[in-house]
Amino acid sequence: MTTRIRTLAGDVFFPTAALAVAALCWWAVAVVGDVPAFVLPAPGAVVARLVGNPTLYVHNAWYTLEKVLYGGSVGIAAGFLLAVLVAYLPWFRTAVYPYLVAVRVLPKLAVAPLLLIYLGTGTETAVVFVALITFFPLVLSTAAGLERAPSAHRDLLRSVDAGPLERIVYVDLPYALPDVFAGLKQSVTLAVVGAVVAEWVIADRGLGFLILMGSENVRPDVMLAALAVLLALGLSLYGTVVLVQRGVRRWLGLEATG
Amino acid sequence: MIDLADVTVRFDDVTAIEDVDLRIDDGEFVTVVGPSGCGKTTLLRTIGGLQTPTTGRVRIDGKPPAAAQAGADLGFVFQRHTLFQWKTALENVTFLRRLAGEEPDETDARALLETMGLEGFADARPARLSGGMRQRVAIARALHLGADVLLMDEPFGELDEITRDELGVEIRDVWRRERKTVVFVTHSVPEAVFLADRCLVVCGQPGRIEADYEIDLPEPRDANVFGSRAFQEQVATVRRTLHEAHDRDRERDLGRDQRRERDRGRDR
Repeated sequence: MTTRIRTLAGDVFFPTAALAVAALCWWAVAVVGDVPAFVLPAPGAVVARLVGNPTLYVHNAWYTLEKVLYGGSVGIAAGFLLAVLVAYLPWFRTAVYPYLVAVRVLPKLAVAPLLLIYLGTGTETAVVFVALITFFPLVLSTAAGLERAPSAHRDLLRSVDAGPLERIVYVDLPYALPDVFAGLKQSVTLAVVGAVVAEWVIADRGLGFLILMGSENVRPDVMLAALAVLLALGLSLYGTVVLVQRGVRRWLGLEATG
Repeated sequence: MIDLADVTVRFDDVTAIEDVDLRIDDGEFVTVVGPSGCGKTTLLRTIGGLQTPTTGRVRIDGKPPAAAQAGADLGFVFQRHTLFQWKTALENVTFLRRLAGEEPDETDARALLETMGLEGFADARPARLSGGMRQRVAIARALHLGADVLLMDEPFGELDEITRDELGVEIRDVWRRERKTVVFVTHSVPEAVFLADRCLVVCGQPGRIEADYEIDLPEPRDANVFGSRAFQEQVATVRRTLHEAHDRDRERDLGRDQRRERDRGRDR
């Protein structure tokens, strides 16, 4: 019983209280401190902005989500495929892996303007950019994960003449799951970053574009509202990955840890 | 019948086993005992086709090990990490047979788990089983495969002494009923003697078969055997052989090093 109360206090009360204190400070600085609204709008003003014109935010959130979903799917699929090649083709690994590790150091954001020249200002530029940015964390962690299975399992499969496909599906993949999901969590987070940066560069529509416009028109209330929606979007995507991971673990009958 | 002729296995610059000749008849229980790093695991893996010999020839019933693998005729039991964590005990038992391309039989699998003392644990996942129970599942799995040859690589190596003895009695019992050909690798001399019809002492680097003992102990072999004089004597014999071979190898290596030193001095 005590454990439960303590958990409730720890998990719900303290974080909620911290949020309330932060909002209160914000409100105090903005309203009591009499800071002009074009510098720091009060929390209420931002909420009013959101509630007053929800379609604007919903539509733009959808445009951003679209880029995340298309780009993310392409990046994740490509990353997974490449990881499999790296893990199972030694010559391919020797040829490609050092560059994959090296390119990880490169800030992918810096590539966006280059894509603009090659692909123009259409949505495809954003999709390619998001794909590019989601691809790297997944390929590296998946490639590492596919080698985690204990050698005894591989030996066991070989001892009954099972093929490489069976080994991948029944042994290597299940052992790689924690790494695949760790990579996926990084990828979805970066996908949102990628979509926003792409929207700054191609300046068409979406939450990133909304923030850019808010900045040009000195409308911090719009920017903060867009940021709040962006946060919700990012959290939902991350939460989806966590839920899928939990589902897979339950389906495989593994205890809900990690 | 298992037949090895002039088998040598080399890894880069290390020779694990050299010129091994060995014949194991159908239904024999053979233990392989020796110190760590003497190549006994390599020997077992070579018999099972997991390791290709550098030179020499391995035959199981006149065919290469790959044919036995394809025919689901080799049942491996490893020291650890042998069960799939995401499958129940029963699923683990049936799964390997399915992978081998044979139709699994759930009734048979359940019965095997029961004979291995796992009543009520068929639907438990490995995380809920003790180390000894996991190895029981692994043995049931090898039996369900229907293989004629069981290859066991220190299967009790990570278990406590009491569980070890208990499982030893059981595996010998299973063998008496099923008459499989068993090759059992261990570094425990008492275990090697207790289980065997024939005990191979493997020594040296590269490993060679130093001695090949017929073990003569009463049947059925149960816990009483451990206290018997015959058992103690045979354990002592095997142990002596191991120590003598070890000392001889060391003296030879020392002598070689000294000669090398002397030659080097002369060159100077």
